[in-house]
Amino acid sequence: MSDGHARPSIFRRGGWLLLALPLWVFLYAVIQGVSEWLAFHLLGLTPKSHLGDAVAFLAYDTPKVLLLLTLVVFIVTFIQTFVSPNKVREALSKRRPGLGNALASVFGIVTPFCSCSAVPLFIGFLRAGVPLGVTFSFLVAAPMINEVALGMLFAMFGWKIAAIYAGTGVAIAFTSGLILGQLRMERHLESWVQDALNAPSLGELEDEKVTLPVRIDLAVQGVMEIVGKVWPYILAGIAVGAFIHGYVPAIFMASLLGNNHWYSVPVAVLIGVPLYSNAAGVMPIVEALLSKGAALGSTLAFMMAVIGLSLPETIILRKVMRQPLIATFIGVVALGILLVGYLFNAIL
Amino acid sequence: MLIEVFGPGCMKCQTMEKHAKEAVEKSGGEHQVVKISDYAAMASRGILSTPALALDGRLKFQGRVASSDEILALLQG
Repeated sequence: MSDGHARPSIFRRGGWLLLALPLWVFLYAVIQGVSEWLAFHLLGLTPKSHLGDAVAFLAYDTPKVLLLLTLVVFIVTFIQTFVSPNKVREALSKRRPGLGNALASVFGIVTPFCSCSAVPLFIGFLRAGVPLGVTFSFLVAAPMINEVALGMLFAMFGWKIAAIYAGTGVAIAFTSGLILGQLRMERHLESWVQDALNAPSLGELEDEKVTLPVRIDLAVQGVMEIVGKVWPYILAGIAVGAFIHGYVPAIFMASLLGNNHWYSVPVAVLIGVPLYSNAAGVMPIVEALLSKGAALGSTLAFMMAVIGLSLPETIILRKVMRQPLIATFIGVVALGILLVGYLFNAIL
Repeated sequence: MLIEVFGPGCMKCQTMEKHAKEAVEKSGGEHQVVKISDYAAMASRGILSTPALALDGRLKFQGRVASSDEILALLQG
């Protein structure tokens, strides 16, 4: 069906997408100068003063994060149109633990995933013969190694920090899936799940065919949807970041989240878990924490706790898992985050 | 035709159902929209990500919201 996507396409409606890239580059090049002019000339604030630094951070970071997010979401959503959960499931079914866990952890990075899909995906994987431990690796990796967060880290802090984030995330997902698989926790699935696993199939549905204009269209749609949805979180994150930047003394930060104290990493995780934000909103806070002397391990643990141990997803997963299983799941992931924090505080 | 919308009831799933109903209205034809929010039913149909939409038992969209025009095009195709 060639006209299956008859939506008035942004891509086809105008060639403005081709203009978007130079415009993006131009904006990105001028925002630093404009923000300094705004803070120090227009508002007449003193450079290096508390208020001046906070305002300059706010005026520079808001457009910067939004611009970077737009580009990152576009690229990520475009890549994701090539990866469907169906294909991932096919690749993972009947895999042995080990290789299966490794593949699941890596696929978890790129597969489009929303927490409301967690339950169908979980059951769908198990039905296709993906082992429980491998499925868990996927469920840990998918939210924890957020593809947008990865792109933002790369854009804001360089490839090393992005690689550390992805590498440790994969390691946690791999190991926790392997452990959970060994514990033979199938009996702790809710009974309706066990029924659904054995229910006769009504016939599997096929994937849709996707063409290049549709992929680009979907990427533009993704940008509008995600940027449109997360900007309040970004503003909140930037406000917190600006406050840290202007007012929190570096000495206080170093003593709380530095690498000299055993309690820094648990404190970072405890602050992070109840903070419900998303990948983009947490970036300005990460930026401010690092610039104020928080250790990389503590900061990484904080970020993973905010993004990876999210309350909404846990509540949804509780529908399929009984208490012991969900508690083990959260425990293993939290332990992994703590280990990553201690590891990087120790070696850097 | 039978339009099945799969989704547990999140925002996106409700939007998908709304778009499906709009498409049926625009088409002026006799089509039935059924919302399936039971996880077991979704699982047994092989749905992996939501929202999803099937037309006469064939999966057309999965994991994203389709516009009413897209659904209309399917009804008329």
